[in-house]
Amino acid sequence: MALRLLTRNLRNRISPNLCSASLLHSHATSFGFKEVREEEKSQMVGKVFSNVASNYDLMNDFMSAGLHRLWKDRLVSKLSPFPGMKHLDVAGGTGDVAFRILESINSIRRRALQDPINDDLQEETRIYVCDINQNMLNVGKNRALERGLGEDKSLVWVQGDAEALSFEDNSMDGYTIAFGIRNVTHIEKVLTEAYRVLKRGGRFLSLELSHVEIPVFKELYDLYSFSVIPRLGEVVAGDRESYQYLVESIRRFPPQEKFASMIADAGFQKVEYENLVGGVVAIHSGLKI
Amino acid sequence: MYRTVVNRILFSGGGRRLLHRHRDLRTVICSSRFSTTTETQTVPNRRPLNPPDPSTSSSSSSSTSFQTSSAAGDVPRHERQNPRAEYEEEQARVLQASLRHVIRLGWSEEAMIEGAKEVGISPSIVGSFPRKEAALVEFFMDDCLQRLIDRIDSAEELQNSTPSQRINKLVRIRLEMQAPYISKWPQALSIQAHPLNVSTSFKQRAMLVDEIWHAAGDETSDLDWYVRRTVLGGIYSTTEIYMLTDSSPEFRDTWLFLDNWVEDAFDLKKTIQEAKYLAEAVGAGMGSFVGKVLQR
Repeated sequence: MALRLLTRNLRNRISPNLCSASLLHSHATSFGFKEVREEEKSQMVGKVFSNVASNYDLMNDFMSAGLHRLWKDRLVSKLSPFPGMKHLDVAGGTGDVAFRILESINSIRRRALQDPINDDLQEETRIYVCDINQNMLNVGKNRALERGLGEDKSLVWVQGDAEALSFEDNSMDGYTIAFGIRNVTHIEKVLTEAYRVLKRGGRFLSLELSHVEIPVFKELYDLYSFSVIPRLGEVVAGDRESYQYLVESIRRFPPQEKFASMIADAGFQKVEYENLVGGVVAIHSGLKI
Repeated sequence: MYRTVVNRILFSGGGRRLLHRHRDLRTVICSSRFSTTTETQTVPNRRPLNPPDPSTSSSSSSSTSFQTSSAAGDVPRHERQNPRAEYEEEQARVLQASLRHVIRLGWSEEAMIEGAKEVGISPSIVGSFPRKEAALVEFFMDDCLQRLIDRIDSAEELQNSTPSQRINKLVRIRLEMQAPYISKWPQALSIQAHPLNVSTSFKQRAMLVDEIWHAAGDETSDLDWYVRRTVLGGIYSTTEIYMLTDSSPEFRDTWLFLDNWVEDAFDLKKTIQEAKYLAEAVGAGMGSFVGKVLQR
């Protein structure tokens, strides 16, 4: 409710003052099913995530019936992390993917098989968690403390914009973005940035809610999305609007094939995608050579 | 100037590009729904012509540039054609380098990571191999097959020997290629036996056996064809396994073993005749029995 009022106010306040020239430069993008101007989108997304940050993980568990954990496990296993890796997890605020990667690298089984030389390599591992929203990063830092990873210098929390990363060219072995690329204003920019920061041989992986095409399942999924989830948001998090935005943004996101071709356009090779749960979630991957 | 470049590309590479497009449009559709489905689509590799301009929709511009054949701005297409297969070349280079580490680290991800580092590529590329260690083993098998074919083409001593001697020699040459890795070969065999990898390893062995028979001068195309290959497959596999536990210098015992096997199995004509007689006898016995039963 508040969000809708806000957008209406913004639009009312800004539009009379706009001259025709600035209208030409301002482009519309989608915020769920609403059309909003690009400058507004990141602000509005920011508000959504500031609102949901504290309950983010709880709501994820509710909405996906805990499946999101498996999806993230699958993402990390596809990544195949290795000791000494420099990895960038974008829009990874609360740290789910980063923790999994770190645990995979540090796992006892792996350590048992390694040469002692590799222990030094383990020291060099760096997982950068980048998020545009400081609230989400704070939640993530607290969770790291709870897990005993507070002192671990492998985890680096960075606030930043996926469209304009502060990292150097060819500096990352891996790049993941889990449930984040849907929220950006310019997908192409994010993909180009991802290509820029990755080293040769580096991989881009994105985990995102995607399109279901299977006939009956699609109807059930739509029903679940539009009826159950906003209500759940209202009850559990006290914020129906944000979750309405969530389900609408899923529908507006390009389908699997289109997104794959966008990734290829950014320069990645061997672009593939894997559907999980019939297309509810898709993991896209690309290789930089 | 651009137009001549474009003409050169279109005429020399046009056919290839069409092929690529067909390959790109093909998608693998899986049947399972609620479990993981993998749909891989190799999307044409396109480098953007210039950094994406935020005020235009870059996706439409790049797709139209792929379709049109206008001269201006088409020069980058020449570069775009080369990067297409690049990742496969890089993967092959990584695997080649990884082989050098296998002796120390086994047929494993670690060896592949070391290989990638040696070649100067991020070890993340190891994650892009669908079945990681299996990719390394399969690469080695293909590589050995290729080397065997090269040896066959260049070898003169094979001309003046009987088929059985030729087979003997070829199997020996092939197994000797595995000799440096023999300490880790059991691991390779277990990887090949893994359900996910069995079909590929079976195909590779079938190709190997076929190649050896071909080089030995076998031209039959009747049922014997399958029998011969199965028999040779058996000989090859048993010798391979024997080699695993052979500690004699230069694997002398293995070669003796191989000699004995080849001589025995080589009386194929006799073996097949005997099998035929056996089948006839059994058939006759069964037939008369059934006949008696029916008569009653």
